[in-house]
Amino acid sequence: MGDVARDPAALERLRVQRSRLADRMRPPWWYLPGIAILWALAFAAPFSSRYGPRGVHTWPILLAVLAVAGLLQWGLARATGIAVAVGSLRYPSGRPAEIAIVVVAAAAFVTEILLIHRGLVVAAIAVAALAVVAEVAGQQAHLRGIRHDLQSGGGSA
Amino acid sequence: MTAKPDPLIHPITRLSICGLLAAGADWVEFAALRDAVGISDSVLSKQSRVLEDAGYVEVRKGAVGRRPRTWFRLTPEGRRAVQGHLAWLAQLEEAVFVSPDMQQARPRPRMQPRRAG
Repeated sequence: MGDVARDPAALERLRVQRSRLADRMRPPWWYLPGIAILWALAFAAPFSSRYGPRGVHTWPILLAVLAVAGLLQWGLARATGIAVAVGSLRYPSGRPAEIAIVVVAAAAFVTEILLIHRGLVVAAIAVAALAVVAEVAGQQAHLRGIRHDLQSGGGSA
Repeated sequence: MTAKPDPLIHPITRLSICGLLAAGADWVEFAALRDAVGISDSVLSKQSRVLEDAGYVEVRKGAVGRRPRTWFRLTPEGRRAVQGHLAWLAQLEEAVFVSPDMQQARPRPRMQPRRAG
């Protein structure tokens, strides 16, 4: 087995291997549509209490959102062979995107609820649709950040 | 974190395995690790067993359908050892290449030999 002392390029080799590993961290085709469905479900929750049939509450929708999120995370790990904490702030390069995801979600929920209470349903749907697009873009940026940190080793806890 | 060498991680294959597991992933699957390091199944099995016995690596085995799947991650102890070892290596690399005698030893991009005539 080789020895690092006899191979001064060991760290350089490790950098190459890390970028090879990071290259695997590309989401499969179904991942981003799945994220869009997840956020569409989440942003449908404020409508359900007012316009849904009697007995439909918000919490079953939120449970469905959690189930889809779990499935997506599991599927991503299975497809790439790398399990990462997608919803965490652990990755410095992905942190701005993750914070943006939370801020956009909060702003969209508040705006939606206000619009629904004023009876502006079309405007609320438009806000929800825009928020879904923003969340998908945010998730893409977050994954790019994770990939960058895997490559540089910056994601180590 | 103190920069200190760890004889267990020093061999290149184990350094690669640990260095990849320390990059930031929670768990890395057998095939992903094998392909990234560029080694055979048997070498990865053997080296991961050594790291597992030392308490540096945690192994989780499962199956998807009939296909067995093995996942690896560093233990907190392993993470500390790897970070210390990588810091030591970085210091070593700097010390070696800062020395004027060793400047020529720095790996350079390969160039095509120029043909005579």
